[in-house]
Formats: sequence, structure tokens, C-alpha cells
Amino acid sequence: MRALCWNGVNDLRVETVPDPQIVSPHDVILRVTMSTTCGSDLHFIDGYIPTMREGDVIGHEFMGEVVEVGREVKKVKKGDRVVVPSFIVCGNCWYCQHDLWSLCDNTNPNPELQMAAFGQPTAGIYGYTHAFGGYAGAHAHYVRVPHADNDCFLVPEGLRDEQVIFLSDAAPTGYMGADFCGIQPGGTVAVWGAGGVGLMAMESAFLLGAERVIAIDRFPERLRLAREKAGAETLDYTQVDSVVEALREMTGGRGPDACIDAVGMEAHGTGVGYAYDRAKQALHLHSDRGQALREAILACRKGGTLSILGVYGLMDKFPIGAIMNKGLTVRTAQQHGQKYVPRLLEHVARGELDPSYLVTHRFSLEDAPRGYEMFKNKEEGCVRAVFTP
Amino acid sequence: MRSINLGHVGRIAAVVLGGSLLKMSLGHRRMLRPHTAKRRGAPKAGGHAEAVEVERSVTIGKTAEELYRLWRAPETLSRLLGGFAEVTPVEGDRMRWKVQGPFGQSVAWETRIVEDLPGERVRWESLPGAAWSLQGAVQFRAAPAQWGTEVTLRLHLHPPGGMPGEAAMRRLRAVPGGLVLKVLRRFKSLAETGEIPTLKNNPSARKSASAHGKRVC
Ligand SMILES: [Zn+2]
Ligand SMILES: [Zn+2]
Repeated sequence: MRALCWNGVNDLRVETVPDPQIVSPHDVILRVTMSTTCGSDLHFIDGYIPTMREGDVIGHEFMGEVVEVGREVKKVKKGDRVVVPSFIVCGNCWYCQHDLWSLCDNTNPNPELQMAAFGQPTAGIYGYTHAFGGYAGAHAHYVRVPHADNDCFLVPEGLRDEQVIFLSDAAPTGYMGADFCGIQPGGTVAVWGAGGVGLMAMESAFLLGAERVIAIDRFPERLRLAREKAGAETLDYTQVDSVVEALREMTGGRGPDACIDAVGMEAHGTGVGYAYDRAKQALHLHSDRGQALREAILACRKGGTLSILGVYGLMDKFPIGAIMNKGLTVRTAQQHGQKYVPRLLEHVARGELDPSYLVTHRFSLEDAPRGYEMFKNKEEGCVRAVFTP
Repeated sequence: MRSINLGHVGRIAAVVLGGSLLKMSLGHRRMLRPHTAKRRGAPKAGGHAEAVEVERSVTIGKTAEELYRLWRAPETLSRLLGGFAEVTPVEGDRMRWKVQGPFGQSVAWETRIVEDLPGERVRWESLPGAAWSLQGAVQFRAAPAQWGTEVTLRLHLHPPGGMPGEAAMRRLRAVPGGLVLKVLRRFKSLAETGEIPTLKNNPSARKSASAHGKRVC
């Protein structure tokens, strides 16, 4: 089959690779009908997350049709049209049974790689470094889905691929971020980053009862989507001296009740802190640029909630003093997709959520490297590129 | 597959736990912190090199009885060793371990169970006269709340003396903690899900993948 492979820093190529096969009894093989780029892919494409290996197939946000079924698979059937969360879960361990799906104990074949960095291993992900399992990704014609009964969600008839594809990762990540905020009636939520995850977090905040949502970004087309599609107020950080001050003024001096970081380690910003981070990152002195996260901490009202969705490795200059003295609650996780996909499918089926506007660019799988280039450089207002094999 | 010159260390670890596991550990050793294998006793003049003892634990969501039964099932140890080492019951309480070494040679030895408390503990030792003195034990203890059972695996290895033995032990000390942990985590996945996570036949554009039509990481 054909697949998009990582060959080195910023070197993506579509190559011919062996087809996946059923290797474990709970596996299915999916014919991928659509996959999409994700901001977190950029961290390892750019070389900021180690443990990629030359030739790895990438892509973790996808959907498709079941074409082959392992002997222990009970619920999923050949011909099913399904969407698959990016984290691979077993359904049996303590973490799966407590709705903490991305922490699954039994799906990472390389747990020792994570234990060195995090102390404990997390679940595996498709196409996302060997520390996260080393599984082949889904920018391909076919993909192997382990533990399919827990990892495949049947798509109701009548929904288009574009409406469902983001339920694999961006939508449940954003929904979880809003869920973490414990939104009270009248609450204000600020969201850093108006990419796919940020926009989904904004929509979810409204679905969960927020009165106001404030979006912080610098790209006009993303701020426009935040306003027109998600109904957020917007803040262009290049147009203000201080995001923290601007947010304080927008909220009567209090600060937002909850702040969601949907940016992560490659945050852009302005000022001295940003220049310092960027220089260190360029010199590989540390891996994370933490501008968005620091702003979120400083902006949040006392006793508020900080919800971190952006991906981080190790970060220095983390203002723990502000978190401690202001009594903030910090909630964060990689997405617990299996918890949120069923209710998101209901929202989409009822017409309360339609993430299809995130699709700004379509490519054949053969043109996927160009798609990633446009996505990475945000050319022509690219929010998300989708690939059809 | 990347070739790693395993030398003596490889043969030792192959004997202990199986070479494919060792390759995984060595291949990623930059990511690993030094393991805390304990050193026991001073080198004996003209006798044996220093011994290595490793102990690692994992919590598994099953009862001690279930885990004991799975551990004692005839095919389990071979599965935990990644299909690299075959462990077959011989008569009585003896088991025969056969390992395909990294250079095509195979090594075999026997162990016997010296303590067997169903639902609690199994302990085994290599038979007297084996070049490598190896003792192992697995212990099952009830965990708090609904966590299931805490499982501890302990290995004690006492190699022969002389230069090769000592050189090998120096390097081996950095390895067995990871190996023991890997075996335990595979045991946990097998017990909780009925399968062990694997990258067998994982598609990639690496030459090794297309050459064999499959790839085992
Ligand atoms: Zn993602
Ligand atoms: Zn699990």
C-alpha cells in the first residue's frame, strides 16, 4: 500500500510499504477513507520530540471502513464505517475502567521509553513516535486497529466524512479541555490557539454552558472562524501590548474563570520571554516554548482553572508561584477520546456541532507532503488538511 | 534489523531472558536511566564474578490465584520472552530453557522449581553444575483498593569468574532492570487483555520491513 512516511526532520514522503495484517486477536484492519493533519504531528516532524525512526508511517486522526476482523473481536463487523480515537486503549485496565483512556496500561509495546521521561508509561498512539508505541499511522490506505471493540465507534448513517473525521482527535481533545474547566453558568473561558483543537474547545465550552468565550490567536482567518463558527470574542495578540492585561480588562479586572491552552510547546508570541524560548529551542537547549501557557497562568482569575491541551515535553520557567499563590486548579491530559466520542457523535447527529468547517484543504494521499507543508506554514489560511487515499 | 554486536553480554542476557528483549533495551539505551541493579558481595578470588540482583514490581488487575495459574501455564513464559526463548516443562518441577542466540547458536539449560506456593510465590534455580548460576522468583501480593495484585519478579545471577565474566557483568548491570520490567509488563498485558502489545508486521518504509515483508521491533 501507499503511506506517508517520516524520513528525517521535515522530510515526509509517500512510499510503498507492506500492508498491515491482523496480528493480535482483538485487531481489525481498516480501509482509511479520510485522515487529517494535527498540530502535534508538527512537534516530531520538526524534530522536537525524539524517538521517531526513519520510515515510520505517521497520522493519528482518521476514520474508515472495517475490512478484516480478528478472531476475538465481538462488536465491530466487516463493513462497519467507524471513527477511531488517536489513543489505543485496551478497555480492561484500571485506567480504561476509570475513563482515563489515554493512560491505558496495556497498549504501549515500548513502555520503558516513556518510563524514563515520565515515570510511568501511557497508551500507544498511531504514527506518533516509538515512545508512544511505534504503531504505524493512518496516512495510508490501510491501518491496523488493536482492541477494536474499544477503539472503533460506529458512524451513524447520513453523516459525511468531513463532519466525523475530527471526532478522532481534535473534537474530543477540545471537548475534554472544556469539560476540565468545570464551567458554571455565566462563566468566561479564554482559549489560546484557534486551530482545530482550540476551535473545538470554544464550541464545547458553549455546549457545556459558558456565557463568554475569548479566542487568542494572530491569524486573521482563524480569528474569523472563532468569531463566525464558534461564536467567540477574539483577541489578536499582535495587536495588544499585553494579552494578560487585555483579558483582565475584558473581564472587569477579574480574569477569565478558566483558561485553555490549545497551543503547546511551539507557541508563538511576542516579547522577551518568547525570544528567549525561541533561541533556546533553536539551539536545542530545551524543547518547549511556553509563551501561551505562561500567559494563561497569569491571566486566569484567582481560584480559576487552567486546562492544558497543548503538548509539552520538558519546560523551564514554569510560573508555579502564580499557580500556587492564586490557587489555580490545573487539569490536563492527552485526550480521553473513548469517553467523549459517543456524546460528540450525538451532538453532530443532532446538528449541534459540525466540525466540517475545519477542513480548509483537501489532498489525495499522494500529495500529503504538500498538505503538511501548507498546514505547517498556515498557507492560504490552512486550518486542517485532509487526505483521501 | 540493526545489528548490534552483543558479544558476551548478549550471550549472557540471552541466557537470562532472551536476546530480542535485550536488543530492544540496548537499542534504546540512550533513553534509559541507569538501572539500579544491586551488587552483592565482593568478587571471589579465582571463583565467581560479582552477582547481580534485580527486582521489579507491577500491579495487575487480577487475583493472585488467576495470576499464579497464568504464570504456571506451560506456554506463558515463552510468550513473555517474546517467542525468542522457549521454556518447556520437563518432568517433575523442571523446566528446559532454549534460547536462539544472536549469532545462530542456541543455548539450553534447565531450572527446577524450589518453592511453589499456589497464589503466592514460585521460586526456581538453575540445576547444579550450570555455568551460570541463576535464581528467579515471582511473588504475588494483594494490592489495596481494587488494584488487584502486586507482582514482583526477582532475578539473581551469579556468573563464573575471569575476565569475560567480569566484563560482561559490568555491562549487564545496566540492562536487567529493563528486561525484568519488560517481562512484567508483558505479563500484565497478557493477564488483563489476553494479548501482548506488539509491533509485529508493523508497516514502515524501512528496508528491513520491505525485505522480509514484515518487521518485528
Ligand atoms: Zn492530534
Ligand atoms: Zn487499558
